[in-house]
Amino acid sequence: MRKLALTAALALGASPALAQDCGEVSITEMNWASSAVVTAVADFLMTQGYGCEVTKIPSSTNPAITSVAETGEPDILTELWVNAAPVYDRLAAEGKVKPLTDVLSDGGVEGWWIPNYLLEEHPELATIEGVLANPELVGGRFHQCPDGWACKTVNANNLRAAGVEEAGIEIFQHGSGETMATSIAAAYQDREPWFGYYWAPTSVLGQFPMTRVDVGEFDAEAHACNALEECPDPKLSPFPEAKVLTVVTDSFAEENPEVTDMLRNMQFTNDQMNGVLAWQEENNASPDEAAVYFLTTYKDVWGDWLNEAASENLASILQ
Amino acid sequence: MAHYDFVFDGLGLRDWCDEGASDGPMTMEQLMAQARGEDPAATSGPLPFPSLDSLHQSCGAIPQTREMTAWLERSFLDAKDTLKVVLDPATQPLSWMLDNALWIFTATPWWILLPILIALTWFVSRSRPVTIFVALSFVFLGAIDHLDVAIQTLAIIFVCTSLCVLFGVPIGIAMSKSDRLQRSVIPVLDLLQTLPTFVYLIPLIFLFSVTESKLYGIAIILYAMVPVIRLTDLGIRLVDKDVIEAANAFGMSNRQKLFGVEIPLALPNIMAGVNQTIMMSLAMVVIASLVSAPGLGVLVLRGIRNLEIGVGLIAGLGIVLLAVMLDRTSKAALDRVDVSRSSR
Repeated sequence: MRKLALTAALALGASPALAQDCGEVSITEMNWASSAVVTAVADFLMTQGYGCEVTKIPSSTNPAITSVAETGEPDILTELWVNAAPVYDRLAAEGKVKPLTDVLSDGGVEGWWIPNYLLEEHPELATIEGVLANPELVGGRFHQCPDGWACKTVNANNLRAAGVEEAGIEIFQHGSGETMATSIAAAYQDREPWFGYYWAPTSVLGQFPMTRVDVGEFDAEAHACNALEECPDPKLSPFPEAKVLTVVTDSFAEENPEVTDMLRNMQFTNDQMNGVLAWQEENNASPDEAAVYFLTTYKDVWGDWLNEAASENLASILQ
Repeated sequence: MAHYDFVFDGLGLRDWCDEGASDGPMTMEQLMAQARGEDPAATSGPLPFPSLDSLHQSCGAIPQTREMTAWLERSFLDAKDTLKVVLDPATQPLSWMLDNALWIFTATPWWILLPILIALTWFVSRSRPVTIFVALSFVFLGAIDHLDVAIQTLAIIFVCTSLCVLFGVPIGIAMSKSDRLQRSVIPVLDLLQTLPTFVYLIPLIFLFSVTESKLYGIAIILYAMVPVIRLTDLGIRLVDKDVIEAANAFGMSNRQKLFGVEIPLALPNIMAGVNQTIMMSLAMVVIASLVSAPGLGVLVLRGIRNLEIGVGLIAGLGIVLLAVMLDRTSKAALDRVDVSRSSR
């Protein structure tokens, strides 16, 4: 009798069969807007489509990579901006981390930006020569990356090559990414000039439209030398598109090939991501709500990422 | 979902609700309900706390919590220009002091600066072990190429701690004289010690430019001033009532009592406060570097960001060394002026 009751209880308590058993999955949620959206979308698809039990781990680039390389946890790293983590190349070469795909398919856009209102007033600032000839128009200051970011070395070499300091523009090194973002917001509030390094897609550039200053053609050799601190003769070169990856551990890829396939297919274009972030700012939405906006607006996009069983599970939303 | 419908229907507010309704974005719960094949508008799940967001789902006229945070932001941005006119000139001397201190400390060659600092230690502490320790610490920091950054941090700490003591002790004395003042100041002190520094530093960037050194100066001073205020207040309140009575019997005026009796007797507590202020200023060094302060904090941050654990550790130990140097020096200075001990 007890056995019967126990079996009945177990049967009642069992969740509706979702056709595939995924188990427990841990996924990072980085501390910036686009990553929160990516993680929320992945979380929803894995939970509702593949029956996973997902744990979100708040993190940022370097702690996440170190943790994966040394302990094999968490299982999935989303939105790894490879150039913000020089240590990534070393770990990938050692085989400790396994890149799946470019989650931002257009790649991140890095460069030197000025606000759109400044460009409208002074069109000559569209090129680096114009900026160097008119240092007071850009505020006499270049906002440089914090120490420890890879962009700091690249910028330092490019600034030397372009002769920015000699032209009378002070190079101000920020202490953290937060102060850079705030300085852009503050400049926009007062419609003051701003000139410095930043990257897209971000909610900052979504909210405060800016344009990249033209620094010429991309030169792979020059850029490779600029990435080294002791580059003997730096030459000016813009940034290539930044690789932004989804990375998983080997054990996770073996145990969950279906979910790994979905993650391999999960890609966002910059237009999609910028659109989602701009919508999020307009509506003061949370990352979950931004993810819902993406899921309801781009059904044909993410429908292709899923396998048969998951598409069935999510059929009610997909139509 | 809309658990509290019955409240508004029952109170007859349905018309008012629907009139002022603004449709919020679809929430994750609604999407998950839709995925499960349920009607997203149906009520499901346990009864949530009647928060602004839950009530908003039943009655669109009630604002969501995000409206409150957005309102705070708008109020700050509107008040920003007025605040700037008041605060910018008031805090400009701080920028000037920090910039000049940094310039003096870094421009002076080490073979002039270090002997001056060691001589200063001797004058203040008159203690041979402490002076030797300070000298050896500087030699060690210099040997591992950390002298420049250590001197920058030292300059910042000197300026900030001096200002903390300069403003903190009078405030503490004023608090000890008035219970009402104490009751109103204590919550402010609690706020200053626990409010995350970045929370008020980021809005300050809107008021002052991010390149101003007063940003990190304000961060350090506001956090580190609290111990000296609290302990000055405590020290003066703890002065023996009998001694005060005796002073009154001698016909001392309030001013004579303060400077002749109360402060000397409260000095151990005040010096403990100064000591804690120095410790807390050094604890803020890394956060100050997050808002572009130079010094050992920059090395710590670089070590963290580049996963160079050794760099971060050594720079951190440099901060500890500075703390110990300043601590021993100030303790030795305390022993010299401690009236209550010298009478033994």
